[in-house]
Amino acid sequence: MSLFQSLVSPFNRTPASADASAGTRLDSVPTVRPAYEIKETADAFGLVVHLPGVAREDLEITAEDEVIRIAGRRGWKRPESWTPLYRESTDAPFELTLSHDHAIDLERVHAELKDGVLRASLPKIEAIKPRKIAVS
Amino acid sequence: MRLVRYTYPTPSRSFSPAFGAFARSPWTGLESELDRLFESALGNLAAPAGGRFPVDLYEDKDHTYVRAELPGVSREDIGVELVDGQLNLTATRKTPATGDQPAQTYSLNRSVTVPDAVVQADKITAVYENGILTVTLPKREESKPRKVTVAVK
Repeated sequence: MSLFQSLVSPFNRTPASADASAGTRLDSVPTVRPAYEIKETADAFGLVVHLPGVAREDLEITAEDEVIRIAGRRGWKRPESWTPLYRESTDAPFELTLSHDHAIDLERVHAELKDGVLRASLPKIEAIKPRKIAVS
Repeated sequence: MRLVRYTYPTPSRSFSPAFGAFARSPWTGLESELDRLFESALGNLAAPAGGRFPVDLYEDKDHTYVRAELPGVSREDIGVELVDGQLNLTATRKTPATGDQPAQTYSLNRSVTVPDAVVQADKITAVYENGILTVTLPKREESKPRKVTVAVK
């Protein structure tokens, strides 16, 4: 079973009930987790997050030593006269929490938001970059 | 082979003192876990499963509105067409080339049925902002709600 779990990585993850990033505290507004993707290169992590309806003033990125938190509000308010006939999207604000445990050089994080897509480059700190070890 | 039994938080075992009517449904954990499995298995970020994107329909007295969530598409790659009573929304999403992957192109589309008798086809407008495409379809005069007062003899 453990070989199967390591081959199929989505299964090798803590269950949702143990995940603190789901935004389910009672006293907070329900949030939704946006679709995102992380690609890793030798120098940095590339993060792409889909945030439709979020403009630059609605976006808030907080980067700390252990977590990066991306919060986006949908700026558009439905005019009063519009009657919803059929809804597939939600009005809930976006929230994404990524824990990185000191792996990211916070000074050199670079992010841009265009057309509802946030692309961020999160450079790795020197200590965790792959390095060659000479054998004497 | 291991049998894993999921236990879900139930109201009586919660840690919060004032739970009451705001209890999480016992299926919430399973639902979000299944959502994650599907989104990782069936599509990647740029090409959601089936090439579909969320669409909302609204109306007011004079217009019908279609709002589609289409982040990361440039304006010239979006097509809005009204053909045979179907409003077709098509979009091509191009992902930029990264270090080891060439640039890729995904096409997305949704169709919404719009009866010809209701819409003034030549006055349809569309706006794309912040990743959301809003299509405004003006209603024909004769299909707007009208109040008809009838005198009773």
